[in-house]
Amino acid sequence: MQKLRHEKILIVDDSEMNRAILADMLSDEYDVTEAEDGEEALEVLKNKGAEFSLVLLDIVMPKKNGFDVLSEMNRTRLIEDLPVIMVSAETASAQIEKAYELGATDFIMRPFDASIVHRRVVNTIFLYAKQRKLLNVIEEQISEKEQNSSMMVDILSHIVEFRNGESGLHILHVRTITELLLRCLARKTDRYKLTEENISVISMASALHDIGKIGIDDKILNKPGRLTPEEFALMKEHSVIGANMLEGLSAHREAVLVRRAYEICRWHHERWDGKGYPDGLKGDEIPICAQIVALADVYDALTSVRVYKPPIPPEEAKRMIMEGQCGAFNPLILECLEEEFEQIKDAVSHGAGEKAARREIRRFADAALHSKAISASERTLRLLDYERMKYAFYAELTEEIQFEYKVDDNLLVFSSAGAKKLGVANEIVNPETNSRLKEQLGQDWFRQLRGFLRETSPDAPDCRYECELAIGGNLRWYSVIMRAIWTDDVSPSIESVIGKLVDVHDTHMAMSELKEKSIRDPLTGLLNREGLDEELSNKFVQFPERKYAVAVFDIDDFKSANDVYGHQFGDKVLREIAERLIHATRMHDLCARIGGDEFLIVFDYDMGDIRAIVARVFKTLCGAVDDFDLTVSMGVAEMTEPTERYEQLFHKADLALYVSKNSGKATYNFYDDSMETGSAG
Amino acid sequence: MTIEQCYDALGGDYADVIGRLKSERLVQKFVLKFTSDGSYRLLKDSLAEGNVEEAFRAAHTIKGMCQNLSFTRLAKSSSALTEALRAGDAEGAKALVPAVDEDYALTVQAIAGFADSIGA
Repeated sequence: MQKLRHEKILIVDDSEMNRAILADMLSDEYDVTEAEDGEEALEVLKNKGAEFSLVLLDIVMPKKNGFDVLSEMNRTRLIEDLPVIMVSAETASAQIEKAYELGATDFIMRPFDASIVHRRVVNTIFLYAKQRKLLNVIEEQISEKEQNSSMMVDILSHIVEFRNGESGLHILHVRTITELLLRCLARKTDRYKLTEENISVISMASALHDIGKIGIDDKILNKPGRLTPEEFALMKEHSVIGANMLEGLSAHREAVLVRRAYEICRWHHERWDGKGYPDGLKGDEIPICAQIVALADVYDALTSVRVYKPPIPPEEAKRMIMEGQCGAFNPLILECLEEEFEQIKDAVSHGAGEKAARREIRRFADAALHSKAISASERTLRLLDYERMKYAFYAELTEEIQFEYKVDDNLLVFSSAGAKKLGVANEIVNPETNSRLKEQLGQDWFRQLRGFLRETSPDAPDCRYECELAIGGNLRWYSVIMRAIWTDDVSPSIESVIGKLVDVHDTHMAMSELKEKSIRDPLTGLLNREGLDEELSNKFVQFPERKYAVAVFDIDDFKSANDVYGHQFGDKVLREIAERLIHATRMHDLCARIGGDEFLIVFDYDMGDIRAIVARVFKTLCGAVDDFDLTVSMGVAEMTEPTERYEQLFHKADLALYVSKNSGKATYNFYDDSMETGSAG
Repeated sequence: MTIEQCYDALGGDYADVIGRLKSERLVQKFVLKFTSDGSYRLLKDSLAEGNVEEAFRAAHTIKGMCQNLSFTRLAKSSSALTEALRAGDAEGAKALVPAVDEDYALTVQAIAGFADSIGA
């Protein structure tokens, strides 16, 4: 029978009949595998655990029972990804409780009802599939976030490390401790609005707590002994210096991350009792982020080596903090230190890399999926909210100009950074009439947008091109990326267009420079063969109606010039020729070096007299270089029919050149038909 | 003998089982399969060997099958035995074994009669 789904289910029961009943109910729709005891089940899961979508698990079995299976699945963390439904005649609530505690998703009582088994299996598989999808989304987001923050932490660690000899690990440690304390605090109280987002931003911002030290004299920073009162006063300024640095970030001043970092920098040396610096804030006047970082900072400073002290053991450090020897802290945060102590000790000593990332991913997934009493739709909203916040956060930090055009309302909305860059309002109705936009994006921008709307389709909703724009008065290259958002209807229509303008000027210039280099002869700067081919195809395709002539020439006795005067002189002659060539030809003509001393000109002449032009060019090319009497031999072929191809012209010009060479050099000839048969051999 | 009559004979609840498993084909298939299950043999052997743990699992399996098939009568006696064995109460269990033997024999006999009548 054809299976409706591809999901695999593992049925574990020691009674063949019980397995058969379940298998019978499910095998129409699922691939069913059976195991007759816990040991066999674990064997199957060990090898193919990832293939299964669900386990139906009996409790009482020989060898290994259902609880053993659950325990092992916990140990290998398989339980996090593979749902288990217990099927058992057990009615003792302690047994059921134990199964749930070990991570069972559901419990089906024997004797069971076929339709209930079926429903629960379908629901569980469906929910887990959804969770897996969400988990992937979240993992992506987090790795992006991780990258962002770890880059920042990296940079700052290096700056601080470099400047004050403290290990860059301090910043990582403070970040880890901050995060653990925040999470604990969030469980204790709602007072500080510690959402996952806030916790993540504060942890990230904690990396900046000491950036003000950049402004402190090296001699004070790295002084091995105790600081004098004067030195200490100077040292204390680092909190204000750091805060001022952040305030100076005009472009990002509004970013949440920067705001938190400001608070942390300025106030991480305040004390709960009001006796700290620089502002003497007291109690919860001190922002919670600064309170937490203050404690994290002190703890890590105590437990780390410093030039002036050995490390203090964690337990000892904790005791000193608790006893108020190292400052005054919010009692609630001290409670957190007590409760999270083991974790902190562990994280700080073992580093917080991979393990922390994994923890964080799980936490997001748990927060998003398993939080109590959250319905599916609320969950979705929450994720959506998270997405929005994330989007807004990145939009604030990025240099990109992001926009959304709502077709029905004829409304153009810019990201706040984008609007600022363009010098326009965030929302613009009837944008086609906005003169500032025309100035910034070009007169035609709206026509281009409408053009895109006409050409796009649901199957090809994207477009991307590069163009030069005078945003902010500077002409620079931008990459324009747009996507049309189509409705889901039977006859889809465009709801809106989202997109962004990314400044790609530097990359673009580098690329065109590279490209320019690749099509030019490095010695003379003239086109090489590849460049010539490309330019020619452009010319002949774009302007087929124009008149062309091709001239080929080489330098008379160039070999002897090389032999007599040396290669450097040879190069000089080649460069000289190139210069004369550029000088003698016009913009639309193409000049190329196609061999050692062999050159080619494509004359693009419309009305002019080609014979006069060639005479002038020839005259310019000839003329002594130092002691070398430079002359050239040239052959020219003009287009006689509009259909004549470049290749034919080249062939004819070559024949004419041959004639010139044979008639004593230092001359030029125009092709005529007699050459074709006469001297071709 | 119809399947309903078979259920009557072994003290089962046909309405219940068909309500749960939905399909007469399925019920019939598993009823016929019941006699070939080795759990009863295992129960007897384990009891004879004094292996309480193994006997518990066997009784538990019998109970589970009976519940699945709505063999109410045997389910009840095997359930009582299961609980005694779970508690490790060998003496108490011994007293409950005759009822299970009797109900099991009754059940097997009814199923055999049904199997004969449908030529299985």
